[in-house]
Amino acid sequence: MNENEERLIQRDRMRFIKNSLSANLAILAIVFNVLYFVSIYRSNVGTFYYNYLMGISVVYNLIFMLATFLSSEGVKNYKKNYSYLLVALGIGQIIRIFILPAKAHGAIVAVGDAMTTVMGDKQYVSLLVYLIISAVCLIAAAVTNYIKCSMLEAHMKTLTEGSV
Amino acid sequence: MAELSLQHIDKVYDNNVQAVFDFNLDVKDGELIVLVGPSGCGKSTTLRMVAGLEDITKGHLFLDGKDITQSPAKDRDMAMVFQNYALYGHMTIYENMAFSLTLRKENPNVIHKKVLAAAEILDLTSQLNKKPAQLSGGQRQRVAMGRSIVRNPKVFLFDEPLSNLDAKLRGATRREILLLHKRLQATMLYVTHDQTEALTLADRIVCMSMGYVQQVGTPLELYDSPANIFVASFIGLPPMNLFDVKVTGDELVGAGFTAALTDEEKKLLLPYQGKEIVLGVRPENFEEGPGIPVTITTNENLGMNTLAYGNIGGVSGMKVCAKLKGWIDYKHGQNVQFTIKRKHLFDKETTNAIR
Repeated sequence: MNENEERLIQRDRMRFIKNSLSANLAILAIVFNVLYFVSIYRSNVGTFYYNYLMGISVVYNLIFMLATFLSSEGVKNYKKNYSYLLVALGIGQIIRIFILPAKAHGAIVAVGDAMTTVMGDKQYVSLLVYLIISAVCLIAAAVTNYIKCSMLEAHMKTLTEGSV
Repeated sequence: MAELSLQHIDKVYDNNVQAVFDFNLDVKDGELIVLVGPSGCGKSTTLRMVAGLEDITKGHLFLDGKDITQSPAKDRDMAMVFQNYALYGHMTIYENMAFSLTLRKENPNVIHKKVLAAAEILDLTSQLNKKPAQLSGGQRQRVAMGRSIVRNPKVFLFDEPLSNLDAKLRGATRREILLLHKRLQATMLYVTHDQTEALTLADRIVCMSMGYVQQVGTPLELYDSPANIFVASFIGLPPMNLFDVKVTGDELVGAGFTAALTDEEKKLLLPYQGKEIVLGVRPENFEEGPGIPVTITTNENLGMNTLAYGNIGGVSGMKVCAKLKGWIDYKHGQNVQFTIKRKHLFDKETTNAIR
């Protein structure tokens, strides 16, 4: 097999093989989002988080996981439009860094008689890492899906034109 | 492709039941051999021993001259197609067909080429993205065959692959298997209890009963010159009529009829003068004319032929079935006479053909 033929077969395989790379990246983004979610409320910080942001955060998490899961199924079947949704979700993960984690990092609250730090550097960094990895996974999933979809579209066009 | 040789093979199960006795067979390269026989005759056991799914108790199995008696199934380079397809329901047809090669970690591009080529042969290209549940029985069986083809094995083994299909689909799939064999020129072992499949598919048939090989030969040999009463009655539809007769001078005397012998038959039956033998007559070897008196009980019109069932010499006589040309409307109780066009003669004690 020469290089051209290899490339052609590689593209042709996409007709029958699911886009598992993009789908798995999207699922990985959910996993890191879950790590973020279970880590953020870990410390004993009194009522610091008890406001409307906590409610929004919980609801957003649910919506995020549902949307990402649906996108992972979509990209698995080479649906190009899900790339846009994945990019939006990825940007959302970056924005989240500046909402709860940034607000809680370094904040000091009174718990009983003692003053305590809501979020230390270590926890903050780990949350940053989770959200950034989640965002990177989502954007990578979107980009790979977009590229593969475009390749498949072009390949299908050549097939229907009968040039292959 | 490959030559296969089975030499003096016995199979004894742990409970001391012997399923196969002294099985000998040489399969030539590209030959399609059909093992046929009733349920429990040992044909599937033999196939499973060839595949390596059952241990061979005694004897040797050679593939291209190499003794593979003790080789594990995975090293035998044989592919087996099962009656129940054995497809993975959660995988697409493409993935099912590619699965064995994926396990072997073959190059994905090579796998792709092989799967597409097999799908093309089996007319499955448009079904590759579907799941097995979305296909008909015949298509699923084609997928099972495709999974074998992509492996490019030395020997294909089929274990009653058409048994789960309805009659119409069975006929169509049977023709596809025949075309596949002609196209691939592969060595194939095919197990069935359906003699129609055996006669239409086989280059040679191995007819088995009670674990013993009864006869090995071409379909025509088994039909035209059966080695014994078992083969005579098993091959052919409707089965051969068998009558106990006595050799008396120049004729055979049965209950309610006599049949004249030809010069050749007289010579053959010289040692049997005054003795009882078995006369076999295929239903299609009867024709209307003076000879055996038959009282008709029922008749079935099949369009081109009529199957007439009756009793010789009255209602309580021996049963007889005749396959006659054309559409004939016999009445129940009607007395007719049939002439025998061709006789098969068998020794009553040994059940072997008298030749």
